[in-house]
Amino acid sequence: MATGFVLDPTTARADDITSPGPDAGPLAGKVIGIRVDQMWRAWDWISEIWAEEFKKAGASDVKFWRSCGRSGEEGEKMDRGLRAFLASIDIAVVGLANCGSCTGWTVHDALAAAALDLPTTAVATANFEEFSKTIAKRGGRSGLRVHVLPYPLNERFREEVDPVARDHFQRLIVTMGAQIDAQKKAAA
Amino acid sequence: MSIVTIAPSHAKLAAPPKQLVSRDCGPDGCEIDWLASPRHEADLDIANFTAFAMEQGWGDGLPLVPPTETRVRTFLSLNNRYPDEVIALLPPMRAECTVEKIVINAVMAGAPPESLPLLIAAVEAVAEPDFELYGMNATTASVAPAMFINGPIRNRLGIPYKHGCFGGAAGAAPAIGRALRLIMRNVAGQLVGVTSQSTFGSPARVTGLCVAEWEERSPWAPLAERRGVKGDAVTTFGGMGTMNILDTTSQRPTEFLEMIGKSAAYAGTNGFSPAVPFCEVFIAINPICAEIIGREMPNMEDVQEVLWKNASLSADWLEHLHRGQLEDQGRIRVDGLIYLTPEPKDVVVMVCGGTGGLHAAIVHSFGTSITQTVAIV
Repeated sequence: MATGFVLDPTTARADDITSPGPDAGPLAGKVIGIRVDQMWRAWDWISEIWAEEFKKAGASDVKFWRSCGRSGEEGEKMDRGLRAFLASIDIAVVGLANCGSCTGWTVHDALAAAALDLPTTAVATANFEEFSKTIAKRGGRSGLRVHVLPYPLNERFREEVDPVARDHFQRLIVTMGAQIDAQKKAAA
Repeated sequence: MSIVTIAPSHAKLAAPPKQLVSRDCGPDGCEIDWLASPRHEADLDIANFTAFAMEQGWGDGLPLVPPTETRVRTFLSLNNRYPDEVIALLPPMRAECTVEKIVINAVMAGAPPESLPLLIAAVEAVAEPDFELYGMNATTASVAPAMFINGPIRNRLGIPYKHGCFGGAAGAAPAIGRALRLIMRNVAGQLVGVTSQSTFGSPARVTGLCVAEWEERSPWAPLAERRGVKGDAVTTFGGMGTMNILDTTSQRPTEFLEMIGKSAAYAGTNGFSPAVPFCEVFIAINPICAEIIGREMPNMEDVQEVLWKNASLSADWLEHLHRGQLEDQGRIRVDGLIYLTPEPKDVVVMVCGGTGGLHAAIVHSFGTSITQTVAIV
């Protein structure tokens, strides 16, 4: 057996932010930003319902931003749009991680929000939960908050998806570190 | 939304110049330890090293050549390259891909030292933001970067462009393609089931797809030259695998092109998905067919136009759910057709293949990955 030394072919990123970042806190008067995409109608339906719930919880506004092509001039336009969107909100809810590339871009955009110190939660379906966390760690922020929706999701009909949205809202609030009760008391 | 045309961004790869060691002694004269990678003690027998590398997560299952310091230094010195040059930052880790890492992975893949300029150019090409490697390395799709080679380097490296050029021709192409794949794995961090969610994968995710153009048999200018780069060049394309087109009937140029174009337009390709705003398509025309087409169509733009027109679907042919989504996005044109690519220029054509003719090959695109052509220097 001839042994010797070989060179390591890999690279590794050493830096990592393990903190989940700031809590969303009381929602009263806050502007919530929801990042949607061009792929998942179920995520559009859920976002609509969550937007209503956020407003009921006292959010002053809910804004949407839709991700589309991420290369070429279209990609540059998207990048400018994302930056403007993030500058206009107080809290970011970013989805939907429900495939390979869309998980990559969901986490990419969530990391962009978190880098601005916005309270940020990425939203993934269960099949892509670990992937989202792995990509977040490789992006240097393993602490990224990830809220998990059931999978499969987009294959379901709207009458099945709407209850999922309502059922998950309270759990989303917990993931975000948001406080509805405090907000309601403040509003009262 | 309306038709999104493909236009390159202004964001271009800027390789950060960085020197870790002095250049004073030249690439093969330094006695200092200028290779920055950690060393691992291992059994250097190929089978035992391969088993060791698989345990480390470095391998693809095929035998690997141990990247010893001697092999790596020799590879570098034969190319007169310094190991610490950063060629690109590769997603998803934004990891620094240095010449040293390219060489280590090329040694493991069994690629020849003469392939280093091609591999460096290929890494530069796939790292361009417009290539969209971020999505490509993570996707559920089966996409892998294909390398199409132009210039005299085709013959120096023995990249196939005749019979069996897409796979099966003996030569260095599979090892060169594999080297790029190992770079994706070990430097970019694309790991199946971890950072890559590809549902089915593809043989091209092991050996890559490394093909040259039969420039001497093409009636048109070489692919890279048409894309602005003369001489030695690599064109990278986000390819979903190869599709074969058989045509034993056509005689006229438009007939051949109609068969190829219509074959490209299948409903389930990414370009017709409402989730993908635009895409390109790659078409390989065999030299016999190319000669027939070239006699009547000496301008490639005319060839692309006919292919593009035929690579379309009637909106009425789609069932309502799919049609509705595309309609909402403004993808159905006034002629009632949905086109695979936004414009004729987005049909990427190259001449290669054996003299048996009869067949064309299509490589469908991942979608928003925009083809890149880079000079090999």
